[in-house]
Amino acid sequence: MRLALLLLGALVLAFVAAPLFIVVPMSFSTAVSLEFPPPGWWTGYYSAYFNDARWTTPTLNSLGIALAVSVLTVLLVTPATFALVRHRFAGKGVVNLLLMLPLAVPHIVMAIGYYAFLADVRLLQTFPGIILAHTALSVPMAFLVLSANLKGFDRTLERAALSLGASPAATFRHVTLPVLWPGFAAAALFAFVQSFDETVVALFISGRDTETLPRRMFDSIRTQADPVIAVVSTLLFLAVAALVIVPVLWRALSRRRSEARP
Amino acid sequence: MSATTSAAGGGGLRPWLLLAPLLVFLAAFFIVPLAQVAVMSVSDPEWGLDHYVAIATDGFHLRVLLDTFLTALTVSLCCLVLGFPLAYAMAAAPPGLAAAMMVVVTMSFWTSFLVRTYAWMVLLGNRGPIARFVEWIGFASPELLFTRFSSTVAMTHILLPYMVLSLYGVLKRIEPSLPRSAASLGATPAGVIRHVVLPLAAPGIANGLTLVFVLCLGFYVTPILLGSPREQMVASVIGQQVEEFLAFGEASAMAVVLLASTLIILGIYHRRFGLDRLWG
Repeated sequence: MRLALLLLGALVLAFVAAPLFIVVPMSFSTAVSLEFPPPGWWTGYYSAYFNDARWTTPTLNSLGIALAVSVLTVLLVTPATFALVRHRFAGKGVVNLLLMLPLAVPHIVMAIGYYAFLADVRLLQTFPGIILAHTALSVPMAFLVLSANLKGFDRTLERAALSLGASPAATFRHVTLPVLWPGFAAAALFAFVQSFDETVVALFISGRDTETLPRRMFDSIRTQADPVIAVVSTLLFLAVAALVIVPVLWRALSRRRSEARP
Repeated sequence: MSATTSAAGGGGLRPWLLLAPLLVFLAAFFIVPLAQVAVMSVSDPEWGLDHYVAIATDGFHLRVLLDTFLTALTVSLCCLVLGFPLAYAMAAAPPGLAAAMMVVVTMSFWTSFLVRTYAWMVLLGNRGPIARFVEWIGFASPELLFTRFSSTVAMTHILLPYMVLSLYGVLKRIEPSLPRSAASLGATPAGVIRHVVLPLAAPGIANGLTLVFVLCLGFYVTPILLGSPREQMVASVIGQQVEEFLAFGEASAMAVVLLASTLIILGIYHRRFGLDRLWG
């Protein structure tokens, strides 16, 4: 029974992994349509991707939007997280639920809401419109990450700085911020990825001049015309692999280093 | 914990000043657009509850809703059946192997829905590995793509990491001596899993089922790209009504029904377990 469960677990792991890795050989295939195993190999679709403005422009658009979203999200969420983690006040539970609400509302619901709302305020198919919508959707994850970090923060450090005569502002800059920066970085990264991958809302509110990468990919997969999609998928997959593997290796290495010390 | 120093604990105006920028932002760019959906559902093209009456009475909308719920139920159960052995193996594996398995699950979790949907298009396509294998052993190549089967498989794959991470969290915390003592008291291996492991894993199972079900209810991208055009899910019907017919009222009423279903399920979970655990 136990062995059967473990074997089944290994099979499921293969089911999880196989679709992720299959995009890599697909990107070096000469096939013009979906075909696996590939009939031949070349790197032509990579140069096609990097030389085609119909792919590079949406990529740059998405990178710029995601960067703006991560900055704006951290700026808005940081003071709110301090208020919720460090203060007690009436209405705290309601505020907490409100901050989590964007995670609970299906994106298709927000897509038509934003479509109507942004048209009213004349921001439909503009970069500010997409940035504002994506920022609202990024709030819950950034808040979860940051509050987890802040709850683990040892406040005696701040008290020590204050009692030694540092002003509250100096304490924040020289004590709180340096200790919490991994939390800020993680929150910004979550917001960045959330925006960079967001498809449904972008399908409805981005336009021809503000096309995002997921929108371009969606259209490409829908029409099945462009093998470049395999190249984009591979690049995205490799970016995720780097994001996931680097911290794991980093932790393993630093553990080994600290164990090596007497 | 928060009320240890006088500067921090007292409440008053300070927390609200810190919260103000975010609350104003969310009110303007989240609550207003969301409220607009609710308003449009009773005001477009004219005031009244016509759209809701139509949803409750005409066969089409009810069938779409029923289909969506059945699909979400199927996907949740598939995720549980597949996710449990994987999470169990991860919890039982030695630390290095467990970490490597976790890397694979996390990688899938972070990889864009579109990339994973595209991968399933390759795998299930009529020139893909599965169809070729079936031909090679001498059968006619099956039509796998653009069916309910293909979208269900892809959605299960996409949502599986949520289930695995929920289950792994509880399985990892089970005291190893408990299953051992049950076994030494004469329980069969199957009995240990049924009477010891599963009850202790129940909160994680509820957590995973709720997450997967709720996310699946509102799924838009994968059913459109991989599913059968004849068996739509509610999100694609909503999108189609806006994109093709500019029927905002009808789409909004469906959106309100979808949102209400989602919030009811999350509400039940909240009363039973507390919502803060769901994404923790």
